[in-house]
Formats: sequence, C-alpha cells, structure tokens
Amino acid sequence: MSTSTSTRHGAVAAEWTKLSSVRSTWWTALAGLLVMAASAGQLAIYAANDNTNDDPTDDRGIVTVGSVLIDSVELTQYVVLALGLLAVTAEFTSGTIRTTLQCTPSRGRVLLAKAAVAGAVTFALGLLLGGVGALVARPVLGEWGSAPAADTIGDIVAVATYLALIGVLALGLGAALRSAVLTLTVLLATLMIVPLSLQEPDIDVLNRIADVFPGVAGGHFLAGDTEPYPPVVGLLLLAGWAGAALLLGRAALRRRDA
Amino acid sequence: MITLRGLTKRFGSTVAVDALTVDIAPGRVTGFLGPNGAGKSTTMRMILGLDRPTAGQALVGGRAYRELRRPLHEVGALLDARAIHPVRSGRAHLRAMAHSNGIPIRRVDEVLDTVGLDGQAAGKPGRTLSLGMGQRLGIAGALLGDPPVLMFDEPVNGLDPDGVRWVRQLMRSLADEGRTIFVSSHLMSEMQLTADQLVVIGRGRLLADEPIGEVIARGTVAVRVRSPHPDGLAALAARLTAAGASVEAADRNELTVTGATADQVGDLAHELGVRLHELSAHAASLEQAFMELTADSVEYAGGPTGGGAR
Repeated sequence: MSTSTSTRHGAVAAEWTKLSSVRSTWWTALAGLLVMAASAGQLAIYAANDNTNDDPTDDRGIVTVGSVLIDSVELTQYVVLALGLLAVTAEFTSGTIRTTLQCTPSRGRVLLAKAAVAGAVTFALGLLLGGVGALVARPVLGEWGSAPAADTIGDIVAVATYLALIGVLALGLGAALRSAVLTLTVLLATLMIVPLSLQEPDIDVLNRIADVFPGVAGGHFLAGDTEPYPPVVGLLLLAGWAGAALLLGRAALRRRDA
Repeated sequence: MITLRGLTKRFGSTVAVDALTVDIAPGRVTGFLGPNGAGKSTTMRMILGLDRPTAGQALVGGRAYRELRRPLHEVGALLDARAIHPVRSGRAHLRAMAHSNGIPIRRVDEVLDTVGLDGQAAGKPGRTLSLGMGQRLGIAGALLGDPPVLMFDEPVNGLDPDGVRWVRQLMRSLADEGRTIFVSSHLMSEMQLTADQLVVIGRGRLLADEPIGEVIARGTVAVRVRSPHPDGLAALAARLTAAGASVEAADRNELTVTGATADQVGDLAHELGVRLHELSAHAASLEQAFMELTADSVEYAGGPTGGGAR
C-alpha cells in the first residue's frame, strides 16, 4: 500500500521534473499570458466601443470583466492545451517514451501522473491568465465594465478549471494519436470546427448534438448558462471528454509497441 | 536471471523473433549476437515490456516486466542512446528517472560520476550530447537503481577506445558482483573479449547458446602449410583432397587446409617426403564462427518451409 502510494507520487514527481526541465513549457506559458492579455484587451475595447447606451441610470450594456475573460479563453485555450499535448507527444518524437515506460511500466499510472501534472499546471496557469486578463480588461472597459469581486474570482476559477480539463483532454488524445500535428488537428475539429458547422444551419437536432461537444459544453459551463442544461452538466460533459481521452490514450499505450 | 520461453514476435507476416527459449544466467556476461535485423533489439524490447510478444513470455527474476512496480531496482537497460529529449539536460533526465522509482536524488550524481560525465556535460541539453556521451548517460540510467539484471544494446557504439575499454571493465565487474549482464553487439571481437556465454540468433531463431569457447571451437579450424617445393606441395594437396579435406592454394608455396588436423597434414607430408617450413593450426575467430552460424540460418530460412522474403 505504501509502495503503491510512493510509486504514484514518484511518477508524478518524474512527470513534473520532465515538464519543468524543458524551456518550451515556460515559453508556452508566457505565450498564453500574452495571448490572454491581447485577447482580453481587444474584447474589452470592442465591448466599450459597442456601447451606445448613454443613460447612466440604465445599466444595460455594461459587461462584467468575467465575461470578457470567458470570451478570451476561446482563443487562449489553444496555447494552453499545447502544454498537455507536448507533455506526451514530445515523448514519442524524442523516443523518451521508452525510458518513461521502463521506469513506470503501468501505462495507466504513467498517463494518470501526466494528467495530474498537466492538469495542475494548466489550472495554475489558468488562474494566472484569469488574473492577468481581468487586470487588462478592467481599465479598458472603464465605465462599461463591472467587476464584482466574488463573481470575477468565480469566473477566474471556472476558466482555470476549463483550461485544466482541456489540457487533460489534449494529453489523452496525444497519447492515443502520438503526433502533435494530428492531435492538434483533431482538437481544433472537436473544439471548434465540427460544433460550429453543426450550429450553422440552426437546426434543433444539430444544435443538441453540438451541445455535447467539449468546447460547447465547457462554454455553457463558463457562461453559467441554464439552457440547454445547467452549468454543472456542461462541466461534467467536459470532464467526461477528458476522462474518455485518457482511457483512449491508456488503451493505445497498452496495445501498441513503444 | 532472464527467462525467455517460446518468445515470438511477428510484424504482419514477418517473424522478427521466432520461439526463442533461453535462460540468461547471473554472474556472467552473456553476449547477444546476430546479424542486423536478427531480432536482438526486438527481443530486448519485449524483455522490457515495451513490445508485446505475439506468443511466449519474457520474465525477469521470474516476473513479467509490466508487473514490476519499481523496475529500475530490478532491471537496468540501455536501449537507444539517441532517445534523449533534445532540450532536457542529462541530469534532469536522470532525476526524472530517479523520482519515478523512489531512488534518492543523490544517486544521480553517483552514477554520473561512475560513467565519467562531469557536471558540465550533465547540464547540457540532450541534443548537444555526442553519441558517446549519450551512451554514458544511458549506462548511468541503467545503473541508477543498482539492479541485479542489466541489459545493454550495442553499448560501445560511438565510444572512443578508452570508453570501449571502460565499458568492457564495467561489464566484467558487474558480472563479477553476481549480476546478470546481457549485451548485444555487432562487434564480434568485442564479444570475444567481454562475453562468457554467447546467445546467437539469426532471423529470430536461436542458433547457439553456449560458452564462448565452444562457439569458437565449432568454427572451422584451418591448417596452414608452407613448403619451398611447389611440386611436393601439389602432391600433398592431391592426397589431402583425395582424403576428403578441402584445400586452397594461397600461392605456389602455401596451402590452407580445412577438414584435416595439423597432425594428419604433418604425417602425410612426412610420408610423401615433402619438406615443410610451416605447419600451423588456426582456430577460427569468433567472427568466422559467427559467419558460419548465421550463414546456415540464411540458407535455412530460404528453404521451402522458411516462408521468408527470399
């Protein structure tokens, strides 16, 4: 029992050592910060400029900082998910996957350790991104923005949770597909292209199908929508996708020769 | 102890490893020989649970590798010295390995010291390491958990002569400590100096599993005969051929005889009254013995039931 716990911790420590000892991890995090700042700034400018309602007694048209953050994530997520993706695809490219599996022969244990590290890192980065986005968006929005502390913090935590699950989804898919380019293509299709295409004709059945996709489900969770399902269902759907990707990755690691 | 039982690996219709049954015993260096594509690396990958056997099993200390919890304490392996992350430093690579198996981090510096990588080399990004440094890093990783079983795939590739001698001594001392050492190499001469036991495979099949002396002894022994009298030598050649030996004339004054002992050749020369300047027996080198073994395997695989590409 104690051996089992220590090897689990060991595998997590090993994955953290691997992720933190390559510069690309830190460059990716920095790129995420820049994209978030730029995106939040731009969306805040739009929000402020679009406002034509000058009646000070009427608060319609005022947007929350949190909503700007949530919209900014749509672009920023592609930088953040690279962290989860590279944590596994770089192992296949460089051949270090063989060393990793020599050290930890249990494929499930390797993938769980990677998921724990990628999830924790993208969650922490998500908190940072949320904070930076809020700091940029708030002054730009000026009188057209509001940032109630509790709501903003809630939105930042939601953004971090979303990014962590997307990071794990990318990781699991990367383990199954091995190639970074292929994985990124599939992720773009799953997160954006397919659901957007489904939603385009605005046919009810297709919209319902689109609602099950991870990006859309995550979007409903972030926006706190009550339609077509409560936010927690959106969160569970996204978590389900991440879990399914991990299972797929584990099956591929078990079946295929390394 | 490494135990292979009917170990088989097929890739589509190609049989890479064919029903290999071998025990690799502790306390000695077992050389693993075979031509390129014979299935050596595939066998080693199956022992490490990286490739799934199509049939049969590979056990280390009686257990399948995939069942081991902290395998670096059981088996150390150097497979591919090129499999290093291009950016990560050698030290970070070893630290990650140590963490995964609960090995104290100070052990990283110990093994770096053992393989002769200094702090500067260990801090360099993987892509800047030479093949020789990569080999040393790989050996350091294999030694990390102080395991009783060690496997090395072509460990002297890219090493300078000093490095080669060092690896040879390292294997020797590890075996003398009672560990199981399983080394593949295409350098027959290297095996002749290092290995106690040889496992030879060709086209995935076991060709020999014997002490190295026996493999050499099985090779052809040639007898060299020199004489200042070409006519007498020709008569000797005729008699030897008639007796079933095979004779090659190197020049007018020299013969190479196989299929007869030096004693027989000498007696015959005496009988014919041929004056000799040299009569010497030459044991086949491991290289020759190896060529003969594997040449057989190629013929065998080319037969009607071989089903090979040829």
